Amino acid sequence: MVKEKSAGWNGISKLLLKRVLASLVVLFLMITFLFFLLRIAPGDPSQKFVSPDLSPRLAAMVRQSFDLNSSLLDQYKTFILNLSKGNFGISYTYQVPVIEVIGQFLPFTIIFSLICFVIQISCGFVLAKFVVKNINGPRDKIISKASLMVYAMPSFVIGVALILIFSVWLNIFPSSGLSSFDFSSYNFFQKIFDYVRHMVLPVITLSFGGIAVYYKYLRDNLEEVYNKSFVENLRAHGFEEKVITRKHVIPNAVSPLIAVAGVELGLLFGGALITEVIFALPGMGRLTVNAILSRDYPLVLGCTFVSGVLIIITNLAADLLKAKMDKRIVKGILN
Amino acid sequence: MRNKYILAILLIFTILFLPSCTKQIPISQNRVVASISSDIESTNPLFAFDIDEGTISELLYLSLVQHGWDFNTGSMTTQPMLAKSWEWNKDSTSITLYLRDDVKWSDGQSVTAKDVIFSFDVYSDPLVQSKLYGSFKHFYTDTSMHVDLKKTFDVINPYKLTINFKKSSPASFYDIDFPIIPQHIYKNVSRKDFVTAEKEIKPVTDGPFELAQWNKSQSIILSANTKSFLYNSDNIEELIFKIVPNYYSQLTQLKRGEIDFMQDIRADDYPLLRGQNNLKLTSLKGREYDYVGWNNLDPEIYKQTKRIVPNKLFGSTVVRTALTYAINRAEILHEFLDNHGEVAFGPVAPIFSSAIDTSLKPLPYSPGKAKQLLASAGWKENKNTGLLEKNGREFSFTLDIPSGNPRREFAATVIQNNLREIGIKINIEKLEPEIFFQKMFARELNAWMAGWSVSIPPDLKQFWYSKLEDAPLNVASYQSKAADKVLEEIESTRSEKFKDELYKKFQEIIYKDNPVTFLYWINNLMAYNKRIKNFQLTPLGPYHRCWDWSVR
Amino acid sequence: MKFYPKAWHFIILIATALFLLRFNFIINSTLLTIQTIRLIFVSPSFVFSQINFQFLDPLLSSALVIIIPVIALLKHGSKFLQKKIDFTSLVIIILAAFFILAPLAAGSNPDFQKNLSVTKLLPPLSRVKVLHLKSESHVVSDKNYFFYLKNLVVKRPFDETIVYADSVISASDVICYQGGEQVEFPKEHIEYRNGSPVVTTRLFLLGTDEYGRDIFSRLIYGARISLFVGLGSVLVSMLLGVLLGFIAGYPGGVIDSLISRITDMFLAFPVIFFIILIIALFGNSIASVIFVLGFSGWMSLFKIVRGEVISLKNKDYFISARLAGLTKTRLLTKEILPVIIAPVIVNLVFQYGNVILAEAALSYLGLGTGSSYPSWGAMIESGQNYLSQAWWLILFPAMALFFTLLAANNLGKEINTYYNPRLEE
Repeated sequence: MVKEKSAGWNGISKLLLKRVLASLVVLFLMITFLFFLLRIAPGDPSQKFVSPDLSPRLAAMVRQSFDLNSSLLDQYKTFILNLSKGNFGISYTYQVPVIEVIGQFLPFTIIFSLICFVIQISCGFVLAKFVVKNINGPRDKIISKASLMVYAMPSFVIGVALILIFSVWLNIFPSSGLSSFDFSSYNFFQKIFDYVRHMVLPVITLSFGGIAVYYKYLRDNLEEVYNKSFVENLRAHGFEEKVITRKHVIPNAVSPLIAVAGVELGLLFGGALITEVIFALPGMGRLTVNAILSRDYPLVLGCTFVSGVLIIITNLAADLLKAKMDKRIVKGILN
Repeated sequence: MRNKYILAILLIFTILFLPSCTKQIPISQNRVVASISSDIESTNPLFAFDIDEGTISELLYLSLVQHGWDFNTGSMTTQPMLAKSWEWNKDSTSITLYLRDDVKWSDGQSVTAKDVIFSFDVYSDPLVQSKLYGSFKHFYTDTSMHVDLKKTFDVINPYKLTINFKKSSPASFYDIDFPIIPQHIYKNVSRKDFVTAEKEIKPVTDGPFELAQWNKSQSIILSANTKSFLYNSDNIEELIFKIVPNYYSQLTQLKRGEIDFMQDIRADDYPLLRGQNNLKLTSLKGREYDYVGWNNLDPEIYKQTKRIVPNKLFGSTVVRTALTYAINRAEILHEFLDNHGEVAFGPVAPIFSSAIDTSLKPLPYSPGKAKQLLASAGWKENKNTGLLEKNGREFSFTLDIPSGNPRREFAATVIQNNLREIGIKINIEKLEPEIFFQKMFARELNAWMAGWSVSIPPDLKQFWYSKLEDAPLNVASYQSKAADKVLEEIESTRSEKFKDELYKKFQEIIYKDNPVTFLYWINNLMAYNKRIKNFQLTPLGPYHRCWDWSVR
Repeated sequence: MKFYPKAWHFIILIATALFLLRFNFIINSTLLTIQTIRLIFVSPSFVFSQINFQFLDPLLSSALVIIIPVIALLKHGSKFLQKKIDFTSLVIIILAAFFILAPLAAGSNPDFQKNLSVTKLLPPLSRVKVLHLKSESHVVSDKNYFFYLKNLVVKRPFDETIVYADSVISASDVICYQGGEQVEFPKEHIEYRNGSPVVTTRLFLLGTDEYGRDIFSRLIYGARISLFVGLGSVLVSMLLGVLLGFIAGYPGGVIDSLISRITDMFLAFPVIFFIILIIALFGNSIASVIFVLGFSGWMSLFKIVRGEVISLKNKDYFISARLAGLTKTRLLTKEILPVIIAPVIVNLVFQYGNVILAEAALSYLGLGTGSSYPSWGAMIESGQNYLSQAWWLILFPAMALFFTLLAANNLGKEINTYYNPRLEE
């Protein structure tokens, strides 16, 4: 126990290193697993080259150039060799290196996810704090029911409804896309304004469900912590309610949320398929799903790798945060 | 503390919203926005595999000739484009082309005969894997189908060249109708890595439009090429293809005027658009049909031994004819497509008015006739189960459909009910499209529903020829000596008139054999904003001559 | 003394209501049951060839609508049935009734479609005219009588003996108007009674969808699929998440890091590919959908449980409890479970909502339970397309989902209170 408590920076960095290494090994194993699974699973990447307008010989040539005719092991060898040079190969559909394709889609997804994540967490937190003063009071009941109602509405319904209200009827926001056609002729402020205008509806759509989730977790945890005996003890000792809430209740209530938040942020980085489709946004969700549906093997592997790395990072961040709140469990959590 | 935050937020908002208050964002009215549902992957005509890519690449790059549509005969006409005139030799095995001398690539170089020769070279190069690879059948080629440049081309001067086709091949304008690419740009690109290397090169074009901007997954902006001989300052300055993946978002934006033109509107949404004052509705007679495929051979045996053994259920012409009688095609057409189409009886589209056999009429819906035919083939009703049986085998099978297509799902349900009425039990299975098509092309499916879009002119051999290696699209594995003979004749004949006769003959054979059950030809329903003038619609597509559009 | 309605009152009320509303149906299915039993002795092979789930389902529900209230009456002293009726138990009882008695409650086949031009997108409480065509006269025999009854009881998705119309005019021929179109039927094809054609009306209580199918019956059958798939996959997720979380968090060390890393891997694994793969390999059945959805949703639960267990086992009171020599099971039930139950339940409630909606996304990709069953998720999904024209497509399934979630949430709270009795004060 004593030893663990004094685990200093050195100990933590060792733990971190171990964990990152383990994560990378697992990621590599998963990519390998996926590599074989993709090729064994039904479906054929050269399918789009079979059509009445094309010569039957073309599909055979294409298969050859995708290297799909050689043995699985040979294909794997080439893949690993390329991977060791940081090369995921060339996307079958886009015919440019996978890294380049992902480079076009990832920045948007990261920015979009972070904005939504911050909004989800802060709105959820504000709402939970708003009701916590009188748990089971009227405002708690209303907000709790409303949050479930929001949750029962899937994001595609919210998205379509928002478009209907704000673009079709009120004509305030554009209904799709990331920027206007004349974007390149705008000055700096107009550009930013154009982005903001386009992003309002998608951000609301993607954030709505998340707000409900975080609110619910926080509210229920707060309720529970308030009823814990140690809070009563503190009250009995004459501590101010504000101090109790800030110093003791909130930290305790937030801790299970952190794990969820880490997972959720990682998933957000994987892309928000439905929101992207409704609002025609260039994100990772659409990219990955299209890659899967068209059996673009290198692109699927690339997308999985990137989202795997991001998930590892967010989970690590979540665990670090959790460990920071409770020093005693550093070792257990970071394991 | 808190006030500071509020102040900061207010400040940010003012900064963001100020520009919008002071200055209206300028919108160029001289543009047309069309919607497409997914991004293109290339603007290069070599790799324009899907329809949108084809459209865009043909607006960027000129072809030697341009086709038009003759509504009277239902066939294509040929008009000058890069070639201002031409002469065929006596036996039509070579053509001399006179190129325009006023066409320039966007970097200022002239378009000459060397670009033409280079294009044939690259298109037919097996290493490049262009979309036309393997289709230069009427040319002198080596064994890998690469066009033999020496034998084929005689350059008289930079603007005059002769193309020699293979002796006795029925060459036509279709053989030279594709966009020409600039030689000086691509000559040093390695052929092996052409597909990827081409992506690094900024497009140099000569068409009526130039690529102004390509925002991945969002929009492709084409602007009129003011130097082109097709340019007219009264016409549109910009043609924008906006990528809107969601069908209903497209519809909403069409109604709002955010997009000006939309294709493939579903029949049930069509009446709602009629009330829209800003829109004009139009439709293109179909050259796309749905069909129910009956595998004529036994898929199990074919998979194991590649031997062709008639299918236990659908191997018999009588059974297939009975199934065609039993399916209420008119009802599906009426109920789902709101009669925007017509019941089909063969693979030749009604738009080819001189080739279609008007004496044939689709078999009527008649469960009674179907039952009678099935009884004659030995399928008798089992009084206990109400199902048809023959030698103890029940008439039941799985009908596969690709998922995500509401029309086919609807039709499948109707067919299920139709066949249940005559004592046939079918089980509908929805397969993910990739898996579905893989199985279909491998001829592993027993019965399925899919569709084909036929090319202009109709190319029937790929679909119906008995030798399966030469007919990858004959997924029903139809076998008929008579049909083979006609198909071979169509391929070798040059007379359009005789070809039409042969098409009719072929339709009669198919009509009798019912290799599959043809369901219906589906019209492409479109709507465009009334502000677009000169909008012309031919079977060659809505963007044919779209540089003539203007907006008021 | 004040009268509080109790759960068993409500059960009997629902059963009676259904019994009265569907009296004809119950009589017919009773007759069919009798006929079937008679035929078993005459030609058993025939009967066995006829029996399947679609056949037994309406017969069973007709039987249960009588049996259940009797049982409720007999056992009304039991704790559950004596419960005061509140929102949660109300929703649960209604859902259970739909789940068990779907064929009885729905009254028509959820996939029934006919004359789209008349029935497409009708708003709630719409009525259409039904023209009855002559059906072939039956020779009276045992089997024909059996089929006659079967057609009445086992609802089919099609019916060639009726025609829906907006209005019907009887002249020399009978003329129907269908969506502005005029269709004529010769007299000899029409069923006549007292010299005039038989025309009834059909009421669509909650309207119809884009294929002209009755939303009310789809909603009821949808309860089956949504409850079954939802509960099934939540159960799978819970087992995996809680079990693995506990296995990883409690001993810690190598096992923990192994399981944690594998979980990270599952988070990164492309779910859609996983779904396509499973469904391609094991077919598009309900079981594979449950498995797929359950298997792709356990990760955040695992994270919660593991994190809580780790922080718990370092808490002083837990250490002292362990030192006091509590057995592992007692530690689990008395110390660990009460702590993790609140976040776990929240997670499960959301997971339930997620699953039902994810099933919709699956249906969208064509990978769901298929068109053979309607599901709430799929109904909401298809309804979004008609949001501006037909609000009823989305409102009713969404309300059903909302009430179910609310009930699940309340139920979760009750379970939490049961494990943490302090909360009640």
